[in-house]
Amino acid sequence: MSVFIEKEGITRRQFFKGAGLITVTAIVAGVFAKIGIDMFKASNAYIEQRISGLYTLDEKMTLRKSHENPEILKLYKDFLSPGDVKPLSEKAHHLLHTKYGNDIPQLIAELKNHQHNAA
Amino acid sequence: MITLQDQGIIQVNNSCKACDHCTFICPTQAISGKIGQKHKINQKICINCGQCLINCPFGAIDDISMVDKVKEALADPEKFVVVQEAPAVRVALGEEFGLAPGTNVKTKMYTALRLLGFDKVYDTEFAADLTIMEEGTELIQRVYNALGVEGFEQAGPLPQFTSCCPAWIKYAEDKYPHILPHISSAKSPQQMFGAVAKTYAAEQLNIDPAKMVVVSVMPCTAKKYECNRPEFIASGYKDVDFVLTTRELAQLIKENNIDFLNLEDGSADKFIGLSTGAATIFGVTGGVMEAALRTAYEILSEKTLDKIEFKAVRGTEPVREATIEIPVKTLGKKLPVNVCVVTGLKHVDNVINDVLAGRSKYHFIEVMNCPGGCINGGGQPIRRDTY
Repeated sequence: MSVFIEKEGITRRQFFKGAGLITVTAIVAGVFAKIGIDMFKASNAYIEQRISGLYTLDEKMTLRKSHENPEILKLYKDFLSPGDVKPLSEKAHHLLHTKYGNDIPQLIAELKNHQHNAA
Repeated sequence: MITLQDQGIIQVNNSCKACDHCTFICPTQAISGKIGQKHKINQKICINCGQCLINCPFGAIDDISMVDKVKEALADPEKFVVVQEAPAVRVALGEEFGLAPGTNVKTKMYTALRLLGFDKVYDTEFAADLTIMEEGTELIQRVYNALGVEGFEQAGPLPQFTSCCPAWIKYAEDKYPHILPHISSAKSPQQMFGAVAKTYAAEQLNIDPAKMVVVSVMPCTAKKYECNRPEFIASGYKDVDFVLTTRELAQLIKENNIDFLNLEDGSADKFIGLSTGAATIFGVTGGVMEAALRTAYEILSEKTLDKIEFKAVRGTEPVREATIEIPVKTLGKKLPVNVCVVTGLKHVDNVINDVLAGRSKYHFIEVMNCPGGCINGGGQPIRRDTY
């Protein structure tokens, strides 16, 4: 009785068949992965572009520090702290500062009281 | 009476396909819904940031519009309507007219606003400079207080958090009430502008502040919520009346058939319209920090900075930290200032818990809700081409 015995290992033909299949699968998967990665990057590219837009605009400005803005200095000298540039003055505190959370009702009462006194 | 506060700024419309994308975007998990059913926003914990809106693939989320009220005010000859525009608007508005992201359309924007009928065109950047003056001085006082210098006992605790982002403020009020003393008491630039416009500018221009209407163009939906908060009445009137988003401004320009791309260059009006580069970068994550450092460094050291860029705080990483050595003249020594920049509220919890537990080494922390800063805010042009 003859029994068909399979040869040990794989034939040359089987090797090329398997290797070819793996290669093609890898290439196809790679192409799809690349498309995915590109799409993911492109979806956030506009953020970087807008950021660099603002930084370029900053570089083009002649004045680049807040405390050198002449209109700010004038606002303090004429209005917020007459005759001086003094942040956190009484008027600045009234107009430019606020409170948070549970302190808000008290702040509103203070502001309304202030208007009442002014009027 | 139902106020805007209860009604909420962000709402889901009937185009909702229940895809659940927004529930992963939302920094506060305010959106919920069953499979196949229109999603709901819990207005109590929604911080109005609008990130769900700009990321919704179906355009199923809307923000409340104030366009009609602005049109009404513009048509009323009795009213004196002034406008302010946030820094992030000028690099994104062009996208609605086919320009590449990041294209600067600042000068065209000023001209377009004049053509739309605004009586005076100012700039939020002016108020951003004002914010730096107030917030920076407040930080210096807090540092002096922590160092035990006499005369600064009234100053608050360190670290100091920034207060420009209304979404972050609401988040802190809702979730971390104990962190509130750490937040700078300075108002956001939008609200500072309103308060100054209805007092100082009205005085300079000789106009009755009761007739003045302050409109702001913002990259942000949470600013609509902020302008309606009841405590912003420091000028004696509602400080900022209406808020338009970048998208709504583009819509107004298109409705009025203005050929935006071929407009002449304009400039902002005087008194409260001049701005600096420090204010321009407010629209980027890390920008408020950099602007504050430029001013704080020069005031404390009494020297001029050779290199005014603080590149260490730039970038798009969600949490960035840096140490800046500032030679303080009055103390006669170098002071290392530890700063931290957070973008995206999903990443702020660890930072806050460190502060509350007393193990935070930072002096100054900038928090912005939207990833990348205001330039990626909920009111900016929606980029569906990227899906």
